[in-house]
Amino acid sequence: MSSIKEKFNQISPSEFFYSNRDLAGFSNPTRSLYTAVREFVENALDACDQKGILPDVHLTIKAVDPDKPDPKPYILTVKDNGPGIDAEHIPLAFGTVLYGSKFGLKQARGMFGLGATMAILYGQITTNKPVLVKSSSDGKIQNQFEILLDIQKNKPVIVKHTTKEISKTGLTVSICLEGDYSKAGNKIRDYVYETSLITPYASITFDDPKNQKFSHPRFVKEIPAPPTIIRPHPHGIDVERIRRMIVESQFEIPTIDDAMIEKVRKDLGLSVKKLSFTSIMDKAKKKWKTLPRQVRVVIALMSFLKMDFEKLNKIKIEDIDMPNKKLFYWDFGDSQSKSVDMDPESEYYKQLTNTVQGEPLTTFLTKRFQRIGPTTAVKFAEFAKFKPEKRMGTLTNQELVNLSDALQKFEDFMAPDSSCLAPLGAEPLEKGIKKFFNPDFVAVVQRPASAYSGFPFIIEMGIAYGGDIKSGGPHVYRYANRIPLLYDEGSDVVLKVVNDTDWGRYKVKGEPPFIIVSHICSTRIPYKTAGKENVADRQEIERELRLALQFLSRKLSSFMSKRGQAEMAKKRANLYAKYIPMIAEFCTELSGKKKEPNYKKMLQTEIESENKKAIKEENEIENN
Amino acid sequence: MKITKKEQEKKIKSRSKKADDKQKLILEILKTHGAKIYDDLDNGQFPKFSIPSRSVGNIVYDKQLRQYILGNNAALRSSRNSAQLRSFTQLMWLAFFANRLTTERKSSTLRDVYYSSQAFAVEFEDQSESDNIIVDLEAVTSRAREDFHIFPEERSSIFGDLNIEYTIPGYEGKTMNLANHPDGYSIGPSLTTAELVSTSAEIVIAIEKGGLFTRFVEEQVDKKFKSIILNTGGQAPRSTRTLLKRLHDEMKLPVICLTDGDVYGEHIAMVIKSGSANAAHLRELTVPDAKWVGVWATDIEKYKLPTIPMTESDIKRCYDLQKDPRYQDGIWKKELDVFLKLKRKAELEAFSKYGLTNITDKYLPQKLELAKSL
Repeated sequence: MSSIKEKFNQISPSEFFYSNRDLAGFSNPTRSLYTAVREFVENALDACDQKGILPDVHLTIKAVDPDKPDPKPYILTVKDNGPGIDAEHIPLAFGTVLYGSKFGLKQARGMFGLGATMAILYGQITTNKPVLVKSSSDGKIQNQFEILLDIQKNKPVIVKHTTKEISKTGLTVSICLEGDYSKAGNKIRDYVYETSLITPYASITFDDPKNQKFSHPRFVKEIPAPPTIIRPHPHGIDVERIRRMIVESQFEIPTIDDAMIEKVRKDLGLSVKKLSFTSIMDKAKKKWKTLPRQVRVVIALMSFLKMDFEKLNKIKIEDIDMPNKKLFYWDFGDSQSKSVDMDPESEYYKQLTNTVQGEPLTTFLTKRFQRIGPTTAVKFAEFAKFKPEKRMGTLTNQELVNLSDALQKFEDFMAPDSSCLAPLGAEPLEKGIKKFFNPDFVAVVQRPASAYSGFPFIIEMGIAYGGDIKSGGPHVYRYANRIPLLYDEGSDVVLKVVNDTDWGRYKVKGEPPFIIVSHICSTRIPYKTAGKENVADRQEIERELRLALQFLSRKLSSFMSKRGQAEMAKKRANLYAKYIPMIAEFCTELSGKKKEPNYKKMLQTEIESENKKAIKEENEIENN
Repeated sequence: MKITKKEQEKKIKSRSKKADDKQKLILEILKTHGAKIYDDLDNGQFPKFSIPSRSVGNIVYDKQLRQYILGNNAALRSSRNSAQLRSFTQLMWLAFFANRLTTERKSSTLRDVYYSSQAFAVEFEDQSESDNIIVDLEAVTSRAREDFHIFPEERSSIFGDLNIEYTIPGYEGKTMNLANHPDGYSIGPSLTTAELVSTSAEIVIAIEKGGLFTRFVEEQVDKKFKSIILNTGGQAPRSTRTLLKRLHDEMKLPVICLTDGDVYGEHIAMVIKSGSANAAHLRELTVPDAKWVGVWATDIEKYKLPTIPMTESDIKRCYDLQKDPRYQDGIWKKELDVFLKLKRKAELEAFSKYGLTNITDKYLPQKLELAKSL
């Protein structure tokens, strides 16, 4: 066999996604049209959410040639009233893959703004048309771009750029792509409908290719509080993450070159060229508090070396040996390695320790994680069998693993900060359900925040019964970060939890008119696939879903039993009225009597009393 | 002996009086129950009554009676309970309907009852619901449905020298000899209610199968062995069991059973002898002295009968019956054990291997002889 020569080429992210577009939900014209709609609508809603703007989103899909059979090219346009994008960022934002503003730990519909670029890429591949972007971030000038993607170089190619005056901020994105509306139409309409349920503060309109208009005006005027970016929660963090955080927290020994010396001079405010070592130290002491860390380190080194700038220029720091309190350096003049002792009592020694060995464990915990105060940090150190003052830079691999394990196991951390999450809120959710389904019964719950693998999440859930709801339930509306999930519901954790429930126990029988709305909010939704359609069954999430569903089911059960009692009372009244006279008739002949027994008054009283019971139960339902 | 016309008239009168008495008794029972319901209603109360529980837990074997009976558990049925009101009404209607049938001496079938209910706006989901209510009536009154002139579809028949006299309307006083028609007489309402007048037979042979019944008639088993031949048509219907009991009690005839040589055959004989758990609420349906003479499991080897293997369900049935208190001793236990050991069975027709008349010429005489010592 001849040896195989393989050529390894680095491929650009654009190229990667071009060849793996199935992963992102662009597998066929039906799915692609749906995914493209999702990506642009979600970007529009995210942009408005972040700036606290009540969103007005207009979605339009028009066939390029309406007479052609599907699949065929469509023009998809999404217009919003969001903050827009600065002109300088537009080419990169819409003409590069993996360029985005969403790389932070907070809840958003999309993670990196990746999907929209994928949609643009897909459009370009299938129709060879540029994306049209109209944006105004100041509400005065609107920039219009036509952009193509250079797939191999992952770079935007600006086809056209014009500006015009305008009176509102906002972004309009328009792409031409191959799609199949006859097949995707149902899902897209469902998507718009379900999105408006979970985004009651948004007005969403949809003009479809058949000139039908779907309008979902907002019915809630308050926008939920926007999420904040936060530090990670210690539960479930992994070794790799801690390692990265330590690297971030450590400060490198600065290279002492001319530029550095110039910076130190400037920060110390030294105008005189030649200054003695002692006067430099005096000056530094006075200005210490205002000095940046780099400068402090240089000063600390100088304090042990006892050198002025001129001498400092002629050496190179080789090693700072904290345990042996020695400082090694190379002297260019003598061409040899030298060392000085460091006084551990000196303030400068501490400064160097921090820099070289990293922060003490307790500082690391309180500064880098959410929800850990000094007391908890010390308690944790004891639990994890670390000294509180243990320097993070000195942790061995084994110690890192131990620390990571302990962080997951320690139970006294407070629940994760949910300020990075933006749940809809029980009230708007209930309002939405009432408006959409006009049910006889509705209950909603927002669970307290919980975390899986260090990512906080909140479950919101609603249950509704009767009214306009069609029978054949429970029908489950699944949402994750305010996105409706429409595909692949079979393998979703929410469905699993719903299907595991024995509804008979909650007095729900047969094919009830019954819906469940489930909303999972998290900084990271554990989707099973890149297509973002089903949520994996993480134990913590499953547990919260179960608790939420149980809570609501109990409420439903009490409604059902009241309703059941009312129905039973009514039913009893009807049964009495129907059967007792028959019994009277039969037993009269049977017993050989001529006259029927005197039962009518008794029957009347019983029927009235049952009807009264029914009314009483119904009133109680009404009042709940 | 010659019977004078006067004597005969007197006899007819006494017989029809007997039928009248029974009718009166049944009507009285129905009236008593009806009156109780009437009084409850008249007093402004929801009527109720108690009914013996027919759940498995309340069916016990009575060693003295040698049959299954219902224990002491009873359930209260109240018309106030909306879950019971419907069946309460159905039962009231059935009593009312039975009252009419009995008064008018008309008979009906289980299926008839199901349809008749519709004329009175009493709905039954299906016939099994109405059948169930009929059993309720039996349990409440401790009377078989046949007493209320409700009969199952018939498939059993009888042949032999037996004189009967009808009591049903239109036939009162008419007599019949049951050896007049070689296909036999089907055992229906008129036969069940007829008076058994006289017979020259000395034994009743109950056979499981119609084919063998015909063979027995052809071979004049009735004459050769002075017997009445009765085809049970598989598991004997209640009216047939009633007739067997009357032949035994009133005509003092011993009853023997001849069934297929398998576990189901053995149990057909057992039900004739001691009833079924399904009819534990009724007495008067058993012939405790009835004898099962074959085909036994031990006959299979003894007569070298061609066999077929038992099915899974045959074997399971054997194990089930082993738990039945009636199968704990005697030939019942012995034969059951042998069936289980052989795991094979033989049909009555198996004797045809040795000639069509082998069963009547050889086997039957031996078994009749044997029966005397059983």
